[in-house]
Amino acid sequence: MKGIIFNLLEDVMNHAHGHHAWPDLVDAAGVSGAYTSLGSYPDEHLLALTDTAAAVLGLSSADMLRWFGRSAMPLLATRFPQFFAAHRHARSFVCSVNAIIHPEVRKLYAGAGCPHFHFTDRDDGALIIAYQSPRRLCPLVEGFVAGASDHYGETVAMEHLTCMLDAQPLCRIAARWPA
Amino acid sequence: MHAGCAAAVPDCRTVAGMKSARIDLPDPLDARIGQLQRQLARERKARQAAEAIAESGLRDLYESKRLLALLQRITDRANATDTLIDALDFTLGEICAEMGWDFGNAYLVHSNLEAIPCDCWHVANPDHLMPFVEASHTASFPSGMDLPGQVVADRRAHWIDDVRTDANFLRRDVAIACRVVGGCAFPIMAGGEVVAIFEFFSRRSISANACVIETMAQIALQLGRVAEREYTREALLRDALHDPLTTLPNRVLLHERASSAFSRLPPGQHGLAVMVIDLDGFKAVNDKFGHDAGDCLLVATAARLRDAIDECVGGESVCRTRDADHQRANKTRATLARTGGDEFVVLLENIADEDLPMTIAASLLAELTLPFSIGRDEVAIGASIGIAQSNPTYRDYDEIQRDADLAMYEAKAAGRGKTVMFTEALGTEVRQRMSLERDLREAITEQQFVLHYQAILDLGTSTVLGFEALVRWNHPRHGLIAPNDFIPTAEETGLIVFIGDWVLREACKAIGRLQAKGRDRNTPLFIAVNIAPQQFLQPDFVPYLRAMIMETGIPAECLKLEVTEGVAVLDAERTRQVLEQCRDIGIRVGLDDFGTGYSSLSYLHSLPFDTIKIDRAFVAAVDQSKSRKIVRTILDLAGDLDLTVVAEGIETAEQQAALTAMGCEMGQGFLLSRPLDEAAAFKLLP
Repeated sequence: MKGIIFNLLEDVMNHAHGHHAWPDLVDAAGVSGAYTSLGSYPDEHLLALTDTAAAVLGLSSADMLRWFGRSAMPLLATRFPQFFAAHRHARSFVCSVNAIIHPEVRKLYAGAGCPHFHFTDRDDGALIIAYQSPRRLCPLVEGFVAGASDHYGETVAMEHLTCMLDAQPLCRIAARWPA
Repeated sequence: MHAGCAAAVPDCRTVAGMKSARIDLPDPLDARIGQLQRQLARERKARQAAEAIAESGLRDLYESKRLLALLQRITDRANATDTLIDALDFTLGEICAEMGWDFGNAYLVHSNLEAIPCDCWHVANPDHLMPFVEASHTASFPSGMDLPGQVVADRRAHWIDDVRTDANFLRRDVAIACRVVGGCAFPIMAGGEVVAIFEFFSRRSISANACVIETMAQIALQLGRVAEREYTREALLRDALHDPLTTLPNRVLLHERASSAFSRLPPGQHGLAVMVIDLDGFKAVNDKFGHDAGDCLLVATAARLRDAIDECVGGESVCRTRDADHQRANKTRATLARTGGDEFVVLLENIADEDLPMTIAASLLAELTLPFSIGRDEVAIGASIGIAQSNPTYRDYDEIQRDADLAMYEAKAAGRGKTVMFTEALGTEVRQRMSLERDLREAITEQQFVLHYQAILDLGTSTVLGFEALVRWNHPRHGLIAPNDFIPTAEETGLIVFIGDWVLREACKAIGRLQAKGRDRNTPLFIAVNIAPQQFLQPDFVPYLRAMIMETGIPAECLKLEVTEGVAVLDAERTRQVLEQCRDIGIRVGLDDFGTGYSSLSYLHSLPFDTIKIDRAFVAAVDQSKSRKIVRTILDLAGDLDLTVVAEGIETAEQQAALTAMGCEMGQGFLLSRPLDEAAAFKLLP
């Protein structure tokens, strides 16, 4: 996992719970790392950190990841405004992730294993986001989509059609942005 | 979870003045915590700043690696390709893909004046962009106009942040319609000139960072090298395919074009003609006025020929462009080529009117009748033209060219300013002549000739005085061939000299054998040998004669030479010298066929002949009074000039009687003796 994710978690935690939150969380999770944006760290570290935070905050692991994703989005918008400026709606922003955002991420962080999303439009107007990753971080995906919608002042309704956490081969998330 | 709220605000009591020896902290633990928190905040900022610097560096590194890889791919292609268009085509696609630009387009630049389209463009996704693409890939822009025009004028790259608001951007309306925003264009230089331009457009603005500018410049440099290579190759090819003096296509290009035209002939194979034009009198101008004058004459001639052909076929005598064949499929096309020193060839394609070659030939000859000015002099030249037209019997172009050459030689042989159209009959005749010539050469090396001898008698006593040696060709396939069937060809080809030498040598040897038989005679027997004018006028003829006589040891007076008037016509003075030298040796010379040719009395007067021979035509008609008068006149003349006379072709007793009655001393003919082989002939002797 790229250090940038740990940095985002650090920022959202500190932002929401004060600047002791992150050192406390790192201590409580029993992990240790420099967590610089340029480095890579074991996936287990992130899961230990989010699971620990979930436990302390009384959230499920999935909800913790959703909160993390949603809360991280304003930080990303500050850090990478150019990705957001090119879009007027969350839907097109989300759809640009494979073509624009991930290539840019790879420029900065050599060897970043960005997940590939597959997008299809359903007849009823919903966007079907297919996600497959051994990390199985689909709640984080949901969080990011929700955060992006917040950014564009939109509301989104998401539904997991299939989920790797239910032993399905991939996740299919239906996202609907009411007109 | 600890919800921290302590702000790391520095306490004014924290740090004492610089002069104090110790730092005074009121609450050591709180102060230490506060200090560590501030330190932590600084460290975090430091880390983030370092990350930002590193990320920026990484991004630049990534960009530059990406651009280097792009440059490498284009360089590889540029090194591998032969044409600028191919390199441009590849480059446009690569750059669009790498830079995320929507449309790339290329122009060629002519004489630094105008960017013209070259149908070389790339569009990443044509949706909604095609109107802009259409407006671009067929457009030309004069220097200064639009983006390519600016590059032509300034010879440097240009960037437009927003083409929709650029007043000089002529494609603004369609750009707005297609939502095109950013544009940039770069010059491709070769030999210090802008030779091509490539431009790119994007629906987003295109940022002109230094790395991109440098990469584009490097790419343009690579493409410039391709252009230079291509131009060099084209120049070499042009030099290899054109005559440098007249700039006309040369033999190689003519052959290429003609072979291609031949392969495209319709069923029936009609429609192609080859005209071979050989200048008459060019060599004389060249020799008299020098090579520079000759070159000027050739250039002027080429221009006149070109104009005349243009007039006849409509301005396409010299086709230098690579126009598509289909555009000219049914149009008569002429290619004028210079194929040799003073030889030109016109290739005519798609001829509808089969008289066209003759019309053109007449026009060319008419064009050349006007004199040319060489400095202050005026010179006149002409041409001999041979034409051959395609037909189903030809298997390739070379055969047509060969027949056109053959027709040209016939025209040349017929005299200046003639045009000869090749026909099958002409081909047969020439081929037979050539075959005869080939066989004759073989006959000389294989010694296939034999001499027959016809007796020459004293008409009064009917005794044999000597023989005329007559050459026969013992052809391995055709048997004995009479002189009339091969001597003319031998004379035309100059082979007569070799045959004549052989005849002379054999005759001398025969005289040796004859001497042995007629040793007891008062008057020695002679053998008369016909000498062709070319042989007679050979510079070493007399030395050869002398050598033959020395070699065979025969008395010179036994050898008699017979020449025709033609020899005196060719060179009277030289003839006189040779005759006198022959006399000095002791050889007698007779004038053959008297009365048929020029029969100039001045020759008889000035040339020291010993004998004249009355032609068989007068002998045959001696029963007619007119012929009889001529014979009598010749006999009188010979008597006055102290020449002996031989009548040839005596076939009847009446002819013999008439000639004898008129006082003719000697004669030969079928009545007296047919030509016989040596053994049979010599048996005639007692």
